[in-house]
Amino acid sequence: MKLSENPIERRLQISGILLILGLLTELVCLFWARPLSFLALISVGGALLILGIAVYLLSLVAIRQPRQ
Amino acid sequence: MPHETTLVVALLLMNALLIGVFVVRPAITVTRGGKTMAFLVLFLLPILCGAMGTSSELERSKTTKFCLSCHIMEPYGQSLRVDDPSYLAAAHFQNHRVPADSACYTCHTNYAMFGSVKAKMAGLRHIYIYYLTTPPAPENIKLHEPYNNRECLHCHLGARSFEEGAVHNADPELLPAVKTNKLSCISSGCHGVVHKVGTLNKMKMWKGQP
Repeated sequence: MKLSENPIERRLQISGILLILGLLTELVCLFWARPLSFLALISVGGALLILGIAVYLLSLVAIRQPRQ
Repeated sequence: MPHETTLVVALLLMNALLIGVFVVRPAITVTRGGKTMAFLVLFLLPILCGAMGTSSELERSKTTKFCLSCHIMEPYGQSLRVDDPSYLAAAHFQNHRVPADSACYTCHTNYAMFGSVKAKMAGLRHIYIYYLTTPPAPENIKLHEPYNNRECLHCHLGARSFEEGAVHNADPELLPAVKTNKLSCISSGCHGVVHKVGTLNKMKMWKGQP
């Protein structure tokens, strides 16, 4: 899959990929009932979700208007 | 798998699929509907999924199965099946004085404000010790701090067997001392045999289901 050349769309794609990785980490942890999975869910899954949301919010606020 | 976890799994999969649409076709955010959908799928739903996943995992971390999944805790699980009523943990587990599926958590959580949070922090410390240091032998594991009677009194305070028990009332100073945590319930001579994992191999085990 190729990332878009449009900066906003590219950020949305990166955000989406991070979020999907975070959700998949959560999914794996929910099926694996061990103390380490608890740690992985909180640290890895949580960090990926927060990062993905942050990139999405960044794509909203960092829109540059084209020069006149 | 509990119903709650099934719901969380379904939500996670649905969210991941919807996000996939935006990853493959980010151009759909050009329209007003696309922008609204992106806000829902890339912001609100992941927060909901994260919160529900964490909540589900936190609930699961209270289960006896979860606590006993560490190899070092296996003897403590066996001690719940000792066929001897003087074993405090076994007597509670086998007679449903604590819920069998959350037996460890019921007795070892702190029934004060933020007790659950403190229990989780202690759990993280256990993970650190288990994976990154040399853990002690099961029979040498000690509590972080002396067992507080508050955890026993959470259920027993006010119960007739506790308040009017002959042994508890033989000395008029005993009950006040227990209630103010000056005399431990698990003192030697009282309810001093709790898990006693060092001598389990000599004990007869209960084969029933709690």
